[in-house]
Amino acid sequence: MAHVSIPMYWRTIPQRYKLMGQKCKKCGAINFPPKGVCKYCSVSSEFEEIQLSGRGKVHTFVLISAGGAPPEFADQEKSSGSYPVAIVELQEGPKVIGQIADADPKEVKIGMPVTTELRKIYSEEDVIRYGFKFVPEREGK
Amino acid sequence: MKRVAIVGAGQSKYGEFPDKGIKELFFEAFKDMASSVDKGLDTKLIESAYIGNLGSGGFQLGNMSALVSEYVGLTHINTMRIENACASGGYALAAAAMDVLSGTHKIVLAGGVEKMTDVSGVKQKYWLGVSGDTEYERLAGTTFAGLYALIAQRHMHEFGTKREQLSMVAVKNHKNGAQNPKAQFQREITLEQAVKGPVVAHPLNLFDCCSTTDGASAVLVCDAEVAKQFTDTPIYVVGFGTASDYLAIHDRASTVALEGTRRASAKAYEMAGLTPKDIQLAEVHDCFTIAEILAYEDLGFCEKGKGGTFVEEGHSQIDGDMPVNASGGLKSKGHPIGSTGTGQAYEMFNQLRGTVQKPTRQVKGAEVGLVHNVGGSGGTVAVTIMRR
Amino acid sequence: MAIGISGYGVYIPRLRIKRDDYAKAWGSFSAAGVNEKSVMGYDEDVLTSAAKVARRALESVPLASEKVTRFLLASTSAPYVEKLLSGTVLTSVGIPNSVLTSDHTTSTRAGTEAMLAGFEHVQANPSGNALVVAADSPKASMWDSVEHALGAGAAAFVLSSENLVAELEGYASYASEHFGERFRPREDELLHDLSVKKFAESSLMNNTTKAASALMKRTGRKPEEYAHVVIQQPDARVPGSVASRMSFTEAQLASSIVSKSVGDLGAASTPVALASALDAAKIGDRIMVISYGSGAGSDALSFKVVSEKKATVSFQSDLDRKEYIDYVKYLKIRGAIV
Repeated sequence: MAHVSIPMYWRTIPQRYKLMGQKCKKCGAINFPPKGVCKYCSVSSEFEEIQLSGRGKVHTFVLISAGGAPPEFADQEKSSGSYPVAIVELQEGPKVIGQIADADPKEVKIGMPVTTELRKIYSEEDVIRYGFKFVPEREGK
Repeated sequence: MKRVAIVGAGQSKYGEFPDKGIKELFFEAFKDMASSVDKGLDTKLIESAYIGNLGSGGFQLGNMSALVSEYVGLTHINTMRIENACASGGYALAAAAMDVLSGTHKIVLAGGVEKMTDVSGVKQKYWLGVSGDTEYERLAGTTFAGLYALIAQRHMHEFGTKREQLSMVAVKNHKNGAQNPKAQFQREITLEQAVKGPVVAHPLNLFDCCSTTDGASAVLVCDAEVAKQFTDTPIYVVGFGTASDYLAIHDRASTVALEGTRRASAKAYEMAGLTPKDIQLAEVHDCFTIAEILAYEDLGFCEKGKGGTFVEEGHSQIDGDMPVNASGGLKSKGHPIGSTGTGQAYEMFNQLRGTVQKPTRQVKGAEVGLVHNVGGSGGTVAVTIMRR
Repeated sequence: MAIGISGYGVYIPRLRIKRDDYAKAWGSFSAAGVNEKSVMGYDEDVLTSAAKVARRALESVPLASEKVTRFLLASTSAPYVEKLLSGTVLTSVGIPNSVLTSDHTTSTRAGTEAMLAGFEHVQANPSGNALVVAADSPKASMWDSVEHALGAGAAAFVLSSENLVAELEGYASYASEHFGERFRPREDELLHDLSVKKFAESSLMNNTTKAASALMKRTGRKPEEYAHVVIQQPDARVPGSVASRMSFTEAQLASSIVSKSVGDLGAASTPVALASALDAAKIGDRIMVISYGSGAGSDALSFKVVSEKKATVSFQSDLDRKEYIDYVKYLKIRGAIV
């Protein structure tokens, strides 16, 4: 199992449920996931909270088969087949990795527009951990 | 700079050994190192030891360096476990060099050991999966195969790198490893086999990925001034560099280069007063075939994006103009995480002295070599340049 | 002061399985009138569907999540028997932590039960907005014929006193004691159905007709005044049986027989069917909603459509976005192969 403790997972809920990012007060760049020091100017530790839209484009992707799946995703792969994971370039600038759900793996392409929604990530200690996954952007949400 | 010398090097066999744990494996490498010292080695002379290791065989998270040191007869010395994921060995070597350069110690052991096959498949995958970014990369459903596949996909998109070119790396390294009696896999594979392997993390298949391995290695580093008491033909560490990078690939400026490799090698070249053109052979970190292609580019052997062409044109074959991974690389030789970096140094030591176990793998007339060791997907990188 | 629905949304998961695939496996298919049904993906559940459909409903008003003053969640198949379910949805959607939330579980009537509780809030707080979500994916043993109809889906409604799509004209409820129809003991993830058919049928008829009649009496309306009649759908035939008792016609049911394409949606059955009726309705149309939950109880609600406003994503468009799976994949995804 991934050995991410309950409090550790809970601390990331603002990012996982709500896409909360940080806007650097010095250089204005958006850091997501959060850092102690701004990744772009390497100087400032002062940020403003900003909720990201979750929308972006696929920058690169992989299709994970059984051999490439961590144990906590093994059952998902066994029941539903290989799943796509992408690094997505979000509208607001940062890139972030996430699984792509609700899509035919064959339709995933670099440049594909996606948006986030809440999904089950995995269970550990009988507690379901939820978080964002990307889904193809279609008309309406 | 010729102040740091390597006067002996040893490696255990790499493979799967149910009858050997970290202590036994490290001892095997240690004995091999001792027997490689031309004028003999009184092991009591060793003052300091840096031991690369990730998982402690699953049972000794704390103080494993004390455990394996005393097992091989080194007690009461400076001993430290070095951990930077798969770059642990390379960093152990850098630490040994820094120890000697600082004047603190004169005779220093740099080694590494990993026991990966004792634990269950689930636990193995846990270990392999927690050197990337756990919170986001792991929980997005990737292990290292997935992360390197993300890099490969983008590399293919930006530069047109081909599926066959990735496989050529595997074919070359298996061909080399087939001539390495200490390699985990000693059999050649064909290009067709490599291309058609079962998918692990598309676009990477089984033959793009290195295996899990048990193994150990040990390198005896010393102040150049005392090298003569051990051998008349020491090898010198003329430059080294280490650099880290954002742990998660998505935080990096480039998805198709390892900035850690660029910066670590730049520091090594500068310290050595050399350029990529001066390097005659290299052992690079091919945990996945795409990683070797990136290494050609980021170490400066070819331009960014041309790594696929580089292997296709044969430059990195043993008889090419820039032999890479004559040992078989991680792909064929194996990748016992903590040992890999010093294992690469063991190979380079023998290549530069002309003492490679099987002469068919010997790169002829090699004088200057480079070893390149990467932690995880590039979070840490250690590069060392050695010469006769 | 008029209160009613100011926005709504549905969500139907994309995976579907056809009656033929069931029939191949079992020799027959037991859900009357159901041609195919929807299946939650491996990484979806009641809470992820609730978060998704809640956003759709808010967007259709449009209303910012910070303006929600009451939150209600209904389901018979939530992932926990004890854990504040609303917490997950509230946080994901951005509803203020200070809002009163309520989790409505334990019967397929929970959807309308939550709606009525939401309306009570708006009645007492005319400037408030209640967000009601019904999301369900009931499970039964693969060996039981009751399993055949069970589908998955969600609907959400924003209730307020302004910007209305449909006004609430009145409501009535009826609850009684009936046991042994369709039930689920505490430790069991799977529905029990004792198949005491006539008994179960009579409970359904009794509770629904009592609630519906009480409502018509209260509002003084006649059956033919309703353009749309939305009735609980354990299968696609039950609405017809209830309708004929109440002198409603098949034509009045037509806009809301969602079960033929998505199966039995449990507590989300009448909510999703209501959304389907709203998609089709014209200004001036009246809509009758009759729910049922075993054990037993029924709610009846009467609406009048007052605007052309529709959901941002229609029931039909979610229905059209589909991927068929076969029975083996169905078993794997439902975790039924142990």
